[in-house]
Amino acid sequence: MNDLKAKVKDLFESGAINLFIGYEEGTRRPRPLFVKNAEETNKLVFDDRCSGNLAVYLTRKDLIGGKKVGIAASYYALKSINQLVSENQLSDEWLRVIGLSADGKLLEFGSLAEVSEYLKTASAPPKQNEDELVRQIEAMTMEERWQFWSDELSKCFKCYACRAACPMCYCTKCIVEVNRPQWIQPWATTLSNMEWQINRVMHMAGRCSDCGSCGEACPLGIPIHLLTHKMSETVAANFGQNGDDKGNVLSTFKPEDKENFIL
Amino acid sequence: MSKIGVFICHCGENIGATVDCEKVAAEAAKIDGVEFATDYKYMCSDPGQTLIKNAIKEKGLTGVVVGACSPRMHEPTFRKACAEAGLNPYLCEMANLREHCSWVHEKGDATTGKAIDLVRMLVEKTKRNKSLTPIKVPVSKKALVIGGGIAGIQSALDIANAGHQVIMVEKEPSIGGHMSQLSETFPTLDCSQCILTPRMVEVAQHPNITLYTYAELESLDGFIGNFKATIRLKAKSVDYKTCTGCGACTTKCPTKKIPSEFNEGLGMRTAIYTPFPQAVPNKPVIDKEHCAYYQKGKCKVCQKICPTGAIEFDKEDEFITEDVGAIVLATGFNVLKPDFFPEYGYGKYPDVITGLQFERLASASGPTLGEIRRPSDGKIPQKIVFIACAGSRDPAKGIPYCSKICCMYTAKHAMLYQHKVHGGESYVFYMDIRAGGKNYEEFVRRAIEEDGANYLRGRVARVYEKNGKLVVCGVDTLMGAKQVEIEADMVVLATAGVASCGAEDLAQKTHVSYDAYNFFAEAHPKLKPVETNTAGIYLCGACQAPKDIPDTVATASGAAAKVIGLFSNNELTREPMVAVVNRSAPPVFSTCVGCFLCQTACPYQAIEREEIKNRNGEVIKTVAKVNPGLCQGCGTCVSFCRSKSIDLEGFSNEQMYSEVLAVLEE
Repeated sequence: MNDLKAKVKDLFESGAINLFIGYEEGTRRPRPLFVKNAEETNKLVFDDRCSGNLAVYLTRKDLIGGKKVGIAASYYALKSINQLVSENQLSDEWLRVIGLSADGKLLEFGSLAEVSEYLKTASAPPKQNEDELVRQIEAMTMEERWQFWSDELSKCFKCYACRAACPMCYCTKCIVEVNRPQWIQPWATTLSNMEWQINRVMHMAGRCSDCGSCGEACPLGIPIHLLTHKMSETVAANFGQNGDDKGNVLSTFKPEDKENFIL
Repeated sequence: MSKIGVFICHCGENIGATVDCEKVAAEAAKIDGVEFATDYKYMCSDPGQTLIKNAIKEKGLTGVVVGACSPRMHEPTFRKACAEAGLNPYLCEMANLREHCSWVHEKGDATTGKAIDLVRMLVEKTKRNKSLTPIKVPVSKKALVIGGGIAGIQSALDIANAGHQVIMVEKEPSIGGHMSQLSETFPTLDCSQCILTPRMVEVAQHPNITLYTYAELESLDGFIGNFKATIRLKAKSVDYKTCTGCGACTTKCPTKKIPSEFNEGLGMRTAIYTPFPQAVPNKPVIDKEHCAYYQKGKCKVCQKICPTGAIEFDKEDEFITEDVGAIVLATGFNVLKPDFFPEYGYGKYPDVITGLQFERLASASGPTLGEIRRPSDGKIPQKIVFIACAGSRDPAKGIPYCSKICCMYTAKHAMLYQHKVHGGESYVFYMDIRAGGKNYEEFVRRAIEEDGANYLRGRVARVYEKNGKLVVCGVDTLMGAKQVEIEADMVVLATAGVASCGAEDLAQKTHVSYDAYNFFAEAHPKLKPVETNTAGIYLCGACQAPKDIPDTVATASGAAAKVIGLFSNNELTREPMVAVVNRSAPPVFSTCVGCFLCQTACPYQAIEREEIKNRNGEVIKTVAKVNPGLCQGCGTCVSFCRSKSIDLEGFSNEQMYSEVLAVLEE
């Protein structure tokens, strides 16, 4: 803990950064903190309770535009950062990343390429809860599944908190705002809510870090993170993992790719 | 407000017999925005086109929907007609009422209903069409010919003689292909080498032809008029600049027992070799698979013997990149693998040979210097059996097609045998004699009637050896299905022609479609026989299907004519159906966020990066930009773009969406 404080302080004092995105103690668990100078660094905390994906702020030009930024990144934030790098959104010129290993050690990354290298060997924290829930849904009949998602999505009132919490949702104009043609009906009904979620999840294919922030953000507790969790699983099984290729698993072809899904 | 004209074609009976065209026109007239709708027997005919032109002028149409056949054939026809009447041609669309409706459904109300739906979809799309202008791109006037057999040679010479540069790539150490292996050629019995080798020399000496032997196409990028071909020059281990072709190395090479490919395994060659004495270029290469130095690390005899020091071991393959405007595929064919006929004992009995091996035996440059001697003991066979259709026309063996050349070359073989072995007996087992071609039938009759070849109509069940003879068990179906047993000294199988072994790989590299047998597919079997589905890539010869020499040469010249036609223009006009990245007012400039996943998805490398700068020259934003010269309008980027910042001209999201809604809302 003091390690991080000292390190970030150094970064500020050496002029390497002028903004640090990290965590401070919150009411129930650590919450995001934007540190703007060396003095504020003593509020910082960084441990395994810090699971929120802070990478979401890295594409917010209004918050970080023109600044030199440091970030405390959980495992999933590292994955998001790696994907954002391959999507040309981040650059070594202004970003310094500090991670946390599974055994609680600080990881200092000299460059974004090192993040990518680290992820090749690091393994994801287990998601037993999600796996269990997905298994339960898979055990349902098609009708039951339809009923389950219809019930869940009937609650949605399209606040788009899921979109705001997602590091991968950084488009200037989201598809829900495209109205020529109007791909997704703007009002909140079960069907149009499904249209939105299906689109959101499809847009995550091959990009999602599986951090679960979308589900966390939902004020109605709709388990939409199960959709991205299941999809990440499907993409990994059929197209491989992102990481070794520039771009997206769905757009890169390798002769050894499985083709068993082609009928 | 749109004023759309709808024109329903009966296509004679093709559409008219199944779809109620009058009703389709009447229903189309009721659609919002449709100003005029009518039907006509042949819309593509002159009166049909005049009907459209007049309606455009008289009714002031803003768009035209022709409900007719596939746009593949007649979209250009109707667009041209619209342009002549003063309407932007891209405001004309076709609803495919033939392939998508009348040809695939029974006559009935539902079929007519579907035709109406198809028309309604296109009307909705056309309402949202924009005037487009064709794109002009420059043409590199240099052709790449892949394959140096007679097809490639003919094509290359024709293009080169028209004054254009040609690059010829041949994977073997010499050009000449299968034709150089043949003895005499039907139906005139002129010597194959005598007519071919002068052409080979012409290729080598032609100022407009650059020849790369022992080379293969590594990869291909680009599009018609602007291909970029990367060619792998396989390491020959011999420096052709210093080698004089004296042949000292090939005589001294200690590895001498390698079956010669040129002689179809009936002769031997050395590890450093020139495939045949008349090879072009007449310089050797080292076969690394058999060379003692490459395999065991010791030898280098050739290097010691070479008077000019031309041997260079351990050189890497080299790669060169060429900009070419057109490509001719002339990669030829192979004959079926011998393990295909266990019942005929090929491989088990040395005197059961393929037609191509017989060519080598009959050839003056062959292992027996043109005498027909059997491979096992060198004796002259007194009785010989030819089996036609060995593999061909046999769906059970997976080759349902006719290999076309076998009837003729089998007649030629029987004839050559009778000419060379006086008093010998020849038998030909055949299914049918297919001798369609100028002087072909006369040639076969001559083999039977003048040279006395015995033709037996029937198949051969089995060939086995007994007392040093090959017993051929067959049936003569013209003699009441009588069983026939012939004790022969030699058996020749007219093996099926199959696709060249690298054909599938090459087709994938060049994005050319191919059939179930890996033969390259022509764009249209009748009207576009030398074009492929990829613009700017043409094909000729036996890579398309088994062909004899006259047909091969004809298609080679045909492909060359297409290339020369393409090269007759300085610019190429391309369809403007290309992807475009949107632009919007500052400070957004474009909704593109510059993730460039489109760039990774684009199969044509058509997406570039564009920096949007402010007045001080500072970069505000980096966005995607589509190069319209490279874009093929496939739309992969459009589906990849999450924010819908890329759209396809002529097939915009809005157009497609309204088409879908038009059919769903009814």
